[in-house]
Amino acid sequence: MKKRFVIAFISGSLLLTLGMTGTASASGESVGSCAIEEIEAFEEETGLSLHDLHGGGNEEALQTLSDSVEGCIEAPSPIIPEVNEIIWGGGAFLVLLALMLWKGFPAVQKIMNERSEKIASDLDEADKAKADAQAVKSQYEAELADAKSAAAAVLEEARQQAEVLRSDLQARAETEIAEMKSQAASDIEAAHDRAMGDLQSEVADIVVGAAERVVEANLDAEAQARLIDNYIDQVGSN
Amino acid sequence: MADDKINSYAQAILSVAAGEGTGTKVEDELYRFAQVLEGSDELKTTLSDSSVPTARRQQIVEDLLDGQVTQTTVALVSMLVAAGRGSDIKSIADRVVALGAETREKAVAEVFSVVELTDDQQSRLATALKSATGKDVEMKVIIDESVMGGLLVQIEDEVIDGTVRTRLKQLREAF
Repeated sequence: MKKRFVIAFISGSLLLTLGMTGTASASGESVGSCAIEEIEAFEEETGLSLHDLHGGGNEEALQTLSDSVEGCIEAPSPIIPEVNEIIWGGGAFLVLLALMLWKGFPAVQKIMNERSEKIASDLDEADKAKADAQAVKSQYEAELADAKSAAAAVLEEARQQAEVLRSDLQARAETEIAEMKSQAASDIEAAHDRAMGDLQSEVADIVVGAAERVVEANLDAEAQARLIDNYIDQVGSN
Repeated sequence: MADDKINSYAQAILSVAAGEGTGTKVEDELYRFAQVLEGSDELKTTLSDSSVPTARRQQIVEDLLDGQVTQTTVALVSMLVAAGRGSDIKSIADRVVALGAETREKAVAEVFSVVELTDDQQSRLATALKSATGKDVEMKVIIDESVMGGLLVQIEDEVIDGTVRTRLKQLREAF
């Protein structure tokens, strides 16, 4: 709103200035009056009017008038303006200056103040945002440190667990090896015992079989009677 | 078969034998027949088979025992077979022998041997067993080839084993 007001004010001032200078220039105080004076002097000298020049046959007079008027067209001085222009330009300047002092400068000052306040506010906000960012950064750094610490703790815990697991596995493996050795020794002992048992059984079969054959071959009636008599004597002696 | 029935049959047989005046002889014959029956599963099955007609089973008994034992023994065994007690003959015979010996205040000694014992051996063995057990015994000699040699005597629940079979068994176990 304020921006639009300032822009409209400045645009109006410029238009007013240009309009006033335009009016001053159109009055023809320098070129225009010089041309009119030259034309009037030409009419007086030649007795010809400008309408007479349109008909043709007065090319020489027309050339003379043109040269005279062109002499007026040449700018009087590029540095020093005409007096009327100075008056109109100064008046316009003063009006514009008054308007600027009355409305423009306070508005501009207000805008500048608002702008300064806004910039200060933005700077404050930026500082606050920077502080916030710094706080966030610090928080992130703290969290990162915590995360690193936690990661280190996790790694340490994992390492300890791995160490415990390795120890357990090693102990279990050693136990299993010991059990396998013991089992193998037991198996060997059992196999040895079985072999010895089988061998003893076979030896017993052989020996007892031989003894049975010897006994059967020698157990005639006399031997049977002797065994019976021995049995009777043994029972009677108890 | 319940013990009371076996006991009743045993007492009945002893009464019949006593009435006939062949008490001890019937006991001995019945005991020996029971031993023969235990050694022959086929005979034992036949005499116990109810599908075989009773007359047929009695005829088998008479054919086996006629002329070998007293008529009283033949009649008593035939009676047991006809009464359907063929499978209980061994138990009844053991009870008859035990009750007879008990009546005479003696114990039954089952003597297992490969050969028959002479009278002298039986007399000396009876004396030796009385010395060892303190009981007067009546010996029932059972021929058993499996003992190989020597004697095995069983008096009630007591066993006195002096057989070659047992010696060889002990020898095998010693290895």
